[in-house]
Amino acid sequence: MLGSIIAAGLASGAVYALVGVTYNTMFSTSRVMSFTAGQLAMLGGVFGSMFTLKLGLPLIAGFLLTLVLCAIIGIITEFIAVRPVLKSLDQHLYVLSTLAVALMIQQVAAIKWGTEPQPFPRLLGLGSGVWDEKFWLPVLACAITIAALEYLYRRTLVGRAFLAIAEDNFAARALGLPERNLRIASYALAGIIGGVAGYSSGELLLAFFANGALLNFYGFVPVALGGLGNNRGSIVGGLALGLFQQAANFLVGGIFSSVAVFALFIVVLLAAPQGVFGGGTVRRV
Amino acid sequence: MVVSRRDVLLGSTAALGAASFSFPAPAIAQSETIKIGCLAAMTGPSSAPTIGFNRGVNFAVEAINAAGGVKGRKLEIIMRDTQGDPTKAVNATQELISQLKVHGIWGPLNSGEALATTPIMARAKVPNIHPCVVETLIDVTKYPNAFRMAPSNSQWDDAVRNYCLNILKVKKVAVMGDTTGYGVTAVGASVAAFKKDGAEVVYQANIDSTQPDMTPDMLRARNAGTEAIVVWSVSTGMEGRMFNTRATMNWDVPFVGHPSMSSGEIAGLVEKPENWKKVYAIGYKSCSYDASGKLPAKSEDLVARLDKANIALNDTLLWWVAGGIDAIELFAKAVETSGSTDGPGIIAYLNSLSTYPGYFGNYSWSPTQHNGYLTSEVVMSEASTAKNGTFALAPGYT
Repeated sequence: MLGSIIAAGLASGAVYALVGVTYNTMFSTSRVMSFTAGQLAMLGGVFGSMFTLKLGLPLIAGFLLTLVLCAIIGIITEFIAVRPVLKSLDQHLYVLSTLAVALMIQQVAAIKWGTEPQPFPRLLGLGSGVWDEKFWLPVLACAITIAALEYLYRRTLVGRAFLAIAEDNFAARALGLPERNLRIASYALAGIIGGVAGYSSGELLLAFFANGALLNFYGFVPVALGGLGNNRGSIVGGLALGLFQQAANFLVGGIFSSVAVFALFIVVLLAAPQGVFGGGTVRRV
Repeated sequence: MVVSRRDVLLGSTAALGAASFSFPAPAIAQSETIKIGCLAAMTGPSSAPTIGFNRGVNFAVEAINAAGGVKGRKLEIIMRDTQGDPTKAVNATQELISQLKVHGIWGPLNSGEALATTPIMARAKVPNIHPCVVETLIDVTKYPNAFRMAPSNSQWDDAVRNYCLNILKVKKVAVMGDTTGYGVTAVGASVAAFKKDGAEVVYQANIDSTQPDMTPDMLRARNAGTEAIVVWSVSTGMEGRMFNTRATMNWDVPFVGHPSMSSGEIAGLVEKPENWKKVYAIGYKSCSYDASGKLPAKSEDLVARLDKANIALNDTLLWWVAGGIDAIELFAKAVETSGSTDGPGIIAYLNSLSTYPGYFGNYSWSPTQHNGYLTSEVVMSEASTAKNGTFALAPGYT
């Protein structure tokens, strides 16, 4: 039982964490919580299944095409749901615009792909039981994504430009940074991260249009727990959420596990409204 | 005798009036088509059954019309696509009744739509035959015009319980469903019925159908001593995961329950084909083949006729096609026997039927009972044995 809790819990948690990072990536350059994050992950699974299983493309080609399409969806989101509402962020219109795009993505997926879960190809054919690849692939994908993001943010000029925009949009623009292009790039990057989340967890979650709403919801929890914009907090929050959820599945049953998860979520937010890893924003004057 | 212009005018008017009111009327009635309205989700996510039912409906209409119709009157099908949307179904029902003046309505084909349209048809007293499973759709007091020609939920439940207790001879069952309204209601009813029959329900659960790992519930069911798992869900994803988890646990407990467990989509969701064995889904005697691969004689004959008419069965279910044929033939027989297309006559004929021999099953209706399908004709099928829309009879039936 313990092995199953850890394996399935870490796998689900890694997916939630990656969706949380997707939220953060879009938020960092636009200050917008885009509720398309879960849909991007859903599309990762659907595109992955479509390219590799239905169209029979090689795994690598299917994977790359999936990421490209998810990146394009991310960019489209920026153009149609984020850019028009940036001037009135205080009115929170982005909630409506990004939710509308998320619903459109979900409906189109349901109509074109079908409303029943579809199989996802076995990627490597490694492992069985609690060591099955469907459990450790999302964890591995999460680790690689975090390492790549750390490298991007700490070691590259583009990454530092992202951080500058995230830190102070106006100051970064004053220094001549191409804020609009960087924001588009960050939405493409978010699409890629969402695509990685969906593709790596395809064997676990299957290619299913309804996964989008589920991941939107569960992916938001680590963001709130870990602190908005804090990727490390999201990773810890996501993995903790997955483990807690799976333990609740075993201990109190599926129908009550969601109640347990959200009860804990509310308690944590009451105790630490900024998130466990979030701190108050400090601004030099 | 002097004939004035006034006399000529009056005489002509009288003759014209007599001509228009008396003789031609029967001629119009004899040539008028018999209009049957069809409410079906032809597009959208609920369209799979419609495709099968429509093949049967069109086959029956063509066969009857080719043979000269019903006492010389042709059948006319007026199809309306409801897209699985109760609002669209309501609009289509009103159009069929008020504007198109249909003589009977076949459908809707899913319970969600039927819950919205049945009261409208009852108010208009239009004869209605449908295959929807929700219990409350049949009420001879509120809806004396509505006739069910497929099993109800409780008949499915009876058949599953009968298979578990009397054929598999298990005493300890786990009952699982999804967290939809249907899943919760069906699990509750099933648990109560099992307990009433003296069985021990050792585990009961409603599982979120998107839950990626079914191990927790399956482990609890095994630890409770489950001898058979009864499943009430339409989620093929959840069912596929349950079958895979059973295999991972090296457990050979049988699954018994909802027809969705025999859906073709599960073939792609199970990790190995053998994970889909020992899964018994609700099926029907008329559409189940025996150990020698033979259907009942009447069904064999039907399949041969459908094959001759180039009607495909490999992407649908035989019971859908057979049900569509039966519905149209029942309307045709009702008009033929009652001698008119009047609603009361058609309803009176349907109320008089006792084991009417259809292709899908034998139907019995009376003024006090509008659940027409016989529970004894609901059987369990081996879920993984689909062949041209039919399934192998589950082990234990003679």
